[in-house]
Amino acid sequence: MNPDPAKIHRRKQLSQRLVFALFTLMSAAIVLVLVVILGFIVVRGLPAINWGFLTKMPENGMTEGGIFPAIVGTFCLVLGSMIFAFPIGIMSGIYVNEYTNDGPVKRFMKTMTNNLAGIPSIVFGLFGMALFVNGLHFGDSILAGSLTLGLLVLPVVIRTTEESLKAIDNSFRIGSYALGATKLQTIRRVVLPMALPNIITGLILSIGRISGETAPILFTVAAYFLPKLPHSIFDQVMALPYHLYVISTSGTNIASSRKMAYGTALVLVLIVLALNLLANALRRYFGKKVKMN
Amino acid sequence: MTTTHSHLDEELQLLKTDTLNMWKLVRQQLSKGKEALVHHDKDLARQVVAVERRVNAYELKIDRDCENIFALFTPVAIDLRFVLAALKINSNLERIGDIAEGIARFVIDIDKSFDPELLKVSRIVEMFELSDAMLIDASKAYEKEDTKLARTLFKRDEKLDEINGNASHVITDYIKTHPENIRESLHILSMIRKLERVGDQTKNIAEEIIFYLEAKVLKHKDPI
Amino acid sequence: MAKDYVKKPKVMAKEVNLYYGDFHALKGITLSMEENHVVALIGPSGCGKSTFLRCFNRMNDLIPNTKVTGLVMVDGKDINDRGMNVDQLRKNIGMVFQKPNPFPKSIFENVAYGLRVNGVSDAKFIAERVERSLVQSALWEEVKDKLKKSAFELSGGQQQRLCIARALAIEPSIVLMDEPASALDPISTAKIEELIYELKSQYTIIIVTHNMQQAGRVSDKTAFFYMGELIEYDDTKIIFTNPKNTRTQNYVTGRFG
Repeated sequence: MNPDPAKIHRRKQLSQRLVFALFTLMSAAIVLVLVVILGFIVVRGLPAINWGFLTKMPENGMTEGGIFPAIVGTFCLVLGSMIFAFPIGIMSGIYVNEYTNDGPVKRFMKTMTNNLAGIPSIVFGLFGMALFVNGLHFGDSILAGSLTLGLLVLPVVIRTTEESLKAIDNSFRIGSYALGATKLQTIRRVVLPMALPNIITGLILSIGRISGETAPILFTVAAYFLPKLPHSIFDQVMALPYHLYVISTSGTNIASSRKMAYGTALVLVLIVLALNLLANALRRYFGKKVKMN
Repeated sequence: MTTTHSHLDEELQLLKTDTLNMWKLVRQQLSKGKEALVHHDKDLARQVVAVERRVNAYELKIDRDCENIFALFTPVAIDLRFVLAALKINSNLERIGDIAEGIARFVIDIDKSFDPELLKVSRIVEMFELSDAMLIDASKAYEKEDTKLARTLFKRDEKLDEINGNASHVITDYIKTHPENIRESLHILSMIRKLERVGDQTKNIAEEIIFYLEAKVLKHKDPI
Repeated sequence: MAKDYVKKPKVMAKEVNLYYGDFHALKGITLSMEENHVVALIGPSGCGKSTFLRCFNRMNDLIPNTKVTGLVMVDGKDINDRGMNVDQLRKNIGMVFQKPNPFPKSIFENVAYGLRVNGVSDAKFIAERVERSLVQSALWEEVKDKLKKSAFELSGGQQQRLCIARALAIEPSIVLMDEPASALDPISTAKIEELIYELKSQYTIIIVTHNMQQAGRVSDKTAFFYMGELIEYDDTKIIFTNPKNTRTQNYVTGRFG
């Protein structure tokens, strides 16, 4: 008996539609979840936000006033960890992708960065406390916190750099060598400018990650309540994620600081969101600039 | 789209120049043959025989050039027809070269001057001039890519045919009155037969010129 | 009388063997090339012709586990010698690749690149050299009004001519071309071929090509490679009309394998 072609066609179309519907549904669900979370935070947090909230010290057992020191603290920590992690990460990314051939060295580096990325962030916190706070006597300080956060984000930076460089077609390098350029010249003048948009995007996304981390700063820098701004890198600071944690779980009056907590959460989300947008904008800008150069 | 002057163009131009040079050489051979006959200049005739080697060398060179162009450039369309035509024109010219040599050998074979009366009645000098004029115009048509001029050659061949057709009678009549000149008379007849061939060869060349320029095959057809 | 002398070879390879790890990619290649000649390297894929081409500017160095034995001489100098400065060697030997690979820079900067990495900074000199190279590669008329535009805005054929200009800008005496027209349309290919023919008067050109007609059109000499061996090397005319080796004959007549 020959199968009826029309029937087969109908069956094929049906399964096509079913699968397509399933995929659409899943994507829609994800978007929905995102919208709900964001909406929830915006609705709850927006009433708390005003100029004073962003610029004042916390008052009255953190149930009133603002979160200014936490914003400044997070800013300091992000900056500090960038200064530490970006140069080292980018350089080792370049080393891994440009200077090592496929071999034991490269495999070792890759395994190490992968493992580093897999370590839970609280372990970094513990390690940071042991090494920076106690071992090197930095105490609970911006320095110790930045270094710890830097370590945490280092694998991301290395991987981002490496992947961005790997994406550059080898023909550009070969073309440069063929003109008598050295390896360094080739990397500096051809490879890096081409990889830069992707690297920068990756870096900015990693900043988003740093600004939201709580565990690594827990034992290394974050202050429970410190209504003043830091004067040196050896000072403690407040930080947004830790502040959020504090006023949500162990504040003097959890119920009355609830509004403050949502406000803080919204600020944190907005910072991360803004960074993502900036990443996109920069990528587009650099993408154009690299071509024009 | 702009057309560029290509490497192939250069090769084709060289081929054309070579062909025209060979043409000139063959014409010289023919007219030297005529001079040798009229003035019974055996030295000149021997010269023609010697130079025939150069004509042959030219033929080989052009053959080789055509072969190389085919092998290296795989010409198409008008370029292809040009090279094909050059190949055939080349072999026709070489035959005309042979004819000039043959005439020269007849001259060498005779020890005294040809009887001017024989030359006159046989109209052989006229044949020389006619065929040379045809050769000149054919080469002009080739050089200037002038198919109109090439077409005129088909008619002009008829005059040569006519002289050739009458030749048997004319020579027979002459031998009757000059039995002492039988040998030279027969040589003249043979030369006339050869010169008639020059007309045919030139006609073939004209056909090749038209084929290459217009892609029209005129061979074995009544020419327009 | 014309002097009967043999020109000193511009490029010479003697008993060159090349190994990629255990793979014996080139087997005892010996040949020499005259100055201002175009030499075509032909043969089926994997026959070693591109590998051989890369021997002349030591691009094989970039491939790990490569070992070269034998002698490669350029201008009478052993280029595999310890004292040879590879960057300097590559400056003297331009290279054009199969796929046009302009840098993501402006047209001008692409051509200027080789000068800049070789330490030239005189702006006037660079501008002059860029113009001259673009003229030489028959691209100047098409790009002179948009030198600041990205090289990526050019068509494939234009990009390839830009890459040729880029190679010429550092005044090499030898230009290596690795299937320079294989990614181009017929018109662009014809332009590249004409260009090669014109450049011959100033450069020695070695070109790898899969296109046999191309080898015929552009080259003075042709080398046929098969399975890492040099099967036949002779005037292109002879290779294409009367090759001595049956394998060469089978290859050029398309009866291979």
